[in-house]
Amino acid sequence: MSTWNDLKDNPRLQKIYHLRLEIERLTREFFWTQNFVEASTPIALRLAGQEPYLNPVPVKVGDPLNKEYQFYLRTSPEFALKKLLATGLKKIFEIGKCFRNYESFGGTHNTEFTMIEWYQSPGTYWDFMQDTENLFKYIGKKLAIDKLRYRGKEIDFLDRWDRASVKELWQKYIGVNLDDYLEIDNLKTLAKKRGYQVDGRDEYEDLFYKIFLNEIENHLGQDRPIFIYDYPTSMCSLSLRCEDKRYAQRAELYIGGLEVANGFGELLDPIEQKKNLEKDKALRSKLGRETWEVDPDFIAALEAGIKPSGGIALGVDRMVLLFTGALDINEVIFQSISDQLN
Amino acid sequence: MASTSEIRKGVVIKHQGDLYVVVEFQHINPGKGSAFVRTRMKNLSSGKVIEITYKTSETVEIVSVSFQTMQYLYKSGDNYAFMDMSSYEQIEMDGDLVGDDAKYLKEGLDVIVGMYEGSPVSIQIPKKIQYKVVEAPPAVKGDSASGNVTKEIKLDNGLVIQAPIFIKEGEEVLVNTETGEYSARA
Repeated sequence: MSTWNDLKDNPRLQKIYHLRLEIERLTREFFWTQNFVEASTPIALRLAGQEPYLNPVPVKVGDPLNKEYQFYLRTSPEFALKKLLATGLKKIFEIGKCFRNYESFGGTHNTEFTMIEWYQSPGTYWDFMQDTENLFKYIGKKLAIDKLRYRGKEIDFLDRWDRASVKELWQKYIGVNLDDYLEIDNLKTLAKKRGYQVDGRDEYEDLFYKIFLNEIENHLGQDRPIFIYDYPTSMCSLSLRCEDKRYAQRAELYIGGLEVANGFGELLDPIEQKKNLEKDKALRSKLGRETWEVDPDFIAALEAGIKPSGGIALGVDRMVLLFTGALDINEVIFQSISDQLN
Repeated sequence: MASTSEIRKGVVIKHQGDLYVVVEFQHINPGKGSAFVRTRMKNLSSGKVIEITYKTSETVEIVSVSFQTMQYLYKSGDNYAFMDMSSYEQIEMDGDLVGDDAKYLKEGLDVIVGMYEGSPVSIQIPKKIQYKVVEAPPAVKGDSASGNVTKEIKLDNGLVIQAPIFIKEGEEVLVNTETGEYSARA
């Protein structure tokens, strides 16, 4: 809870909120000193992204003659920032509000949340992994905080960070070679064998996460932050393929078991990208979700040409949660959805 | 079988033949993926806590637990005694099941007790509870630059918390039982 009334007499919550403002300021400062340009792109979009499982918040935009247009609040600034890369910008970041509907009010989610996303072109996913590490260390040093805290656990982050491929993790914690489970049928058999409920509605990604969330995720980033990278290609519609084309350049940051950031070596081939987005759109339709056309302006920007790029989105509220040891995301957000409803 | 949307704090799930009471649950969407429910639950016989994450379309076996409002009476050894105010029947609950909530109990407090086959398996206390302040020494205004000065106060059930310096003995205050912190004057 973080309403003015909660903050007024609670020094712990006041401290968390003041640290939040300071962390946002330091985050900007970090990127400015690294010669990134701060971008500003729309929150209301006529054509939202195609992520099959995300629900953008729909809004109606009206003109003076009362004609209404269907818009959506962005789930991330991804397409807009990549369009800016096509204008020749080389290092850009944006901190802003994003929205994901039908997610939990509190815990580790809030419908409205703050995200920082940054891109480097030319650049790779190794660049943003290093940037992320440098960002956390920069903030930690400036605020004299030497441990991140999550669910009663303290995590060292000023020293070495870990990196592991998804394939290595499956070998380590499940004892299988993920190469053998890149097709849905094989993964289904594995999930059943390990005691999971499996049904016809399960997509590859669902089966992947049933095993991953129960048997892998809780091990991640317990002693120090970890970047896990190279996911099965079918789970990466916006990523460049690896040399082994069955995997793609997607990376996620985990700290104390909490997922904090998700980034890609960017897929910039307009034909392959359009194909992936159309496939995502078809899956949205199959799942009974609202659909809209694949943004032709985004595909046109890719056709104009963008140098090899890496880009990542990091949840600022979760980052604040880790730095402050707050008990719930609602404690780091002033007037969260749940505060406003209660 | 029940839908995962019926998972709540205090419900009892039968998992691989054992009974577990849900102590915490959270809806999550991993990596822009579909929705899952992360469920922390405690084995009713061994006390072991496990975490299982279900895809929301999965089914779970929820056993029937009746939730009854009961009044806290007193502590008896390691157990806590409550009275069902509709039947005036008295029950005792193991200290392990009451857990950290024990420190918030005070005589006459209404709580919700989950009963399974005649035995209590879970307790839910109000999110905010009102107490009378029994000790509130005048605060020493220290060198706090922020002005957020607090002091220790003692409440009528023995609980000690931090509160703003303007709180005086004899006042009634509300305590947030999720964080253990002072919330407001009652």
